[in-house]
Amino acid sequence: MNSQAVLEFARGPFFYFALLFMLFGLAFRLFSVISLGWSRDRVSPMGSKTKGVVVTFLKAFLIWPFIPWVKNTFNRNPLIYIGGGLFHLSLFVVIILGTPHMLVWKSLIGFGWATLPLPIVDWMSAIGIIAMVILLINRRIHPVLKLISGPAEFFAWLFVFLPMLTGYMMTHHIGGSYEALYARHMITVDVLMIWIPLSRISHFVFYFFSRAIHGQEFGKRGVAV
Amino acid sequence: MMSTTEKAMEAFVHETGGWVAAQLEACTRCGMCAEACHFYQATGNPEYAPVWKMELLRRAYEQRFTIIGGVKATLGLDKRVTDEDLAHWSDLNYEACTVCNKCSMVCPMGIDIGSLLHGMRAGLAAAEVIPADLAAAVTKQVNEGSPLGMTDTVWDQRLEWVADEWEVEIPRDVKGATTMVVFSSIEVMKFPANVAAIAKILNKAGEKWTVSSKAREIVNFGFYEGSEEHTKLFLNRVLDGAKDLGVKRIVVTECGHAYDALRWHAANWIPEASNFDVIHITGVLGELVGSGRIKIKPGFFDNGGKITFHDACKIQRKGGHIQEPRDILKVLAPNSFTEMTPNREESVCCGGGGGVIAVKAADPVRYASFELKIDQVNAVGAKTVSMTCSNCRLQFTDSVDHFKLDWKVAGLSQMVADALEE
Ligand code: SF4
Ligand code: SF4
Repeated sequence: MNSQAVLEFARGPFFYFALLFMLFGLAFRLFSVISLGWSRDRVSPMGSKTKGVVVTFLKAFLIWPFIPWVKNTFNRNPLIYIGGGLFHLSLFVVIILGTPHMLVWKSLIGFGWATLPLPIVDWMSAIGIIAMVILLINRRIHPVLKLISGPAEFFAWLFVFLPMLTGYMMTHHIGGSYEALYARHMITVDVLMIWIPLSRISHFVFYFFSRAIHGQEFGKRGVAV
Repeated sequence: MMSTTEKAMEAFVHETGGWVAAQLEACTRCGMCAEACHFYQATGNPEYAPVWKMELLRRAYEQRFTIIGGVKATLGLDKRVTDEDLAHWSDLNYEACTVCNKCSMVCPMGIDIGSLLHGMRAGLAAAEVIPADLAAAVTKQVNEGSPLGMTDTVWDQRLEWVADEWEVEIPRDVKGATTMVVFSSIEVMKFPANVAAIAKILNKAGEKWTVSSKAREIVNFGFYEGSEEHTKLFLNRVLDGAKDLGVKRIVVTECGHAYDALRWHAANWIPEASNFDVIHITGVLGELVGSGRIKIKPGFFDNGGKITFHDACKIQRKGGHIQEPRDILKVLAPNSFTEMTPNREESVCCGGGGGVIAVKAADPVRYASFELKIDQVNAVGAKTVSMTCSNCRLQFTDSVDHFKLDWKVAGLSQMVADALEE
């Protein structure tokens, strides 16, 4: 099979299969969790749960990322905090604000949006790659991370890292013809999409639950979140 | 017969509703919670990372409820829980965790780790893999009504003595009183002045209050242990006493864990619990001072060096009474009251809560974690540390002794009682 054929497959049937697998897989995971049942909280609150939830999300998205040094979390874990933060920022910039990806979104959902100039996106992707490498090294040497990491953590890292790497190589024409590079990128993306519902990469779905629970628990006690 | 491990697994599974599962699923295993834990900070032992302390709960959930977890366990990629594991995690959870929930403040996913760690205890308690001294205290509370040996007669004599010694009236078993106060045996047996102080304050405020001979112990060792059965048994003793006397509200005195159990959990286990207002004495003090029902002498404690306030995990961060002590201390010591860092909901646990102080084997880590407290108090140069939990106070007085510190350890109720305007 030549690169062209592989590419056709990776951005055609394989892509749609992976996409559906991811969506159904996540829906299934979500359903399994919810179907375990949620008992009603009969405790009379001292403060507002709703306020707690709203405030905790606002803080998580709009405040802490920009003034992290006021939190102990940051001061005691600067590496994980900055590394993790830059990695997520890089993902957001590249996948949402990069022109090629925006066009993929447009073809899937029907509308597009303004994007950032290529050099910025390119730098952000490089930063994301470096952050990932640093996080991996840290995971291998930090005593706590060593203890809590197994094959699952490594594979999750690998399957997120590969699309980032192949995407960067593709933009810079490193390591083969355009078709070959493109095909490689698409295959790693497809594999990632399949891996998401099978691993903890799915945390972004459950994040909304755990953060909301945090807001409720602190809010009902009238304690700042 | 179920094996020990099966019993624990059953209990873990029982603990796991969607609420717990969603949070276990959200964990990214980033390890950031480690740095929040005073036991990890004090010792650097990676096994004290909160995420690791709840490892068995995660395994039980994943292997029982998720396809991937089942497959991984079958292929040997995820370890099954063994009896040795239970014994090991029992040490980690009962010796090096006070269930203070500081880790939840740090987790980027906002996971309520403290609740999940309580779930860990539930499994360990169901399998009866708990430290011998804790088990003995629970048995004592089942049989005698109190883990500290405060039997009917002892309770009776102690209160009699307190009433005499401090010349204060302690109304007993008064039907039709509005408020029932339930002291902890720590106060009755070790800090009796606290009992006298609270009585004096309530009398002064003209509160229609009573103690109950049925509901004489607020401490709940079942909640420390994590056993739902024992927790409910002890909660019911309190609620029955309240029902008999027909009171409207129950005041929990200076015990944090007991307050957490009665105020923030009881209604979910025992529906009648919602018939009563449950409030911590700190809330009552705030109310009485704020409304002017009692008057305290401004600046009464201003001349004895700096005073700082230690936030108790279960009364402040997990209890909600963060502002009241500050409002009161600002009146009592406007010039010498100074905040430690971190404080309020971010404060660091004293290291003695969650039953840890009752477990002898925990002594080394308990003292090690108290060293963090020493640094915080010394950083502001305080000579007096005020607090609202007698369990913290036990840890403070014991550690002050152990480290030969020249601090005064003061219960807030006692400070208020001392400063009452005649
Ligand atoms: S900080 Fe939260 S997400 Fe990270 S390992 Fe701990 S519990 Fe999991
Ligand atoms: S609840 Fe407190 S003691 Fe327990 S793991 Fe979390 S921070 Fe440590």
